[in-house]
Amino acid sequence: MQKNNMIICRCEEVTYADLKKTKEKYNCTARELKLRTRAGMGYCGGRTCRSAVDKIASSLEKQKEKDIIPLKYQPPVRPVSFADLGGEHK
Amino acid sequence: MTDRRILDHPILGEQKSQKEISFTFNQKEYKGLQGEPIAAALLANGVRTLRYHEESGTPRGIYCNIGHCFECRVIINGKQGQRACLTPLEEGMVIESPAPLPTPVRDWRYENA
Repeated sequence: MQKNNMIICRCEEVTYADLKKTKEKYNCTARELKLRTRAGMGYCGGRTCRSAVDKIASSLEKQKEKDIIPLKYQPPVRPVSFADLGGEHK
Repeated sequence: MTDRRILDHPILGEQKSQKEISFTFNQKEYKGLQGEPIAAALLANGVRTLRYHEESGTPRGIYCNIGHCFECRVIINGKQGQRACLTPLEEGMVIESPAPLPTPVRDWRYENA
């Protein structure tokens, strides 16, 4: 598949082209890339694409000496529904 | 029942025979084995599309098959966000796949204005 339209974040359907465009336009870190493109904010909690977004952000980074803060591990470890949090008691 | 299942696996060996039960998926009747994962039962029936993406509607199915990517989430007996790859099949289960949802916020974005 052509590299650019390769899906990086399955849950939010963010492609490599989106990430690259946003990265070059705003020259942002991985965390900002996540905020702008939603890559890593999907249902799976970033489990599938967190490291990919980190790697893409650092590989496209121009200033090499910039201290890059990686994306954090987003709790909860499994999705929790409002029903589980004390919704209607069946 | 279609013979898509591997009944005699070189490593796992002979699969012990389980009770055949029926369940419905998107208002269609299917047959499956008692206690096998729903994703496996549907795959044995040739059904690979378990759900459609909430925004773009693209068909989705099994991805990690070990329960942490949630690509296979379906609605079982009205309960949402159930993983088809981990939930064992029971008699008379009613399974539906989640459909695309309205995206008002995305439609308001400046590039869509």
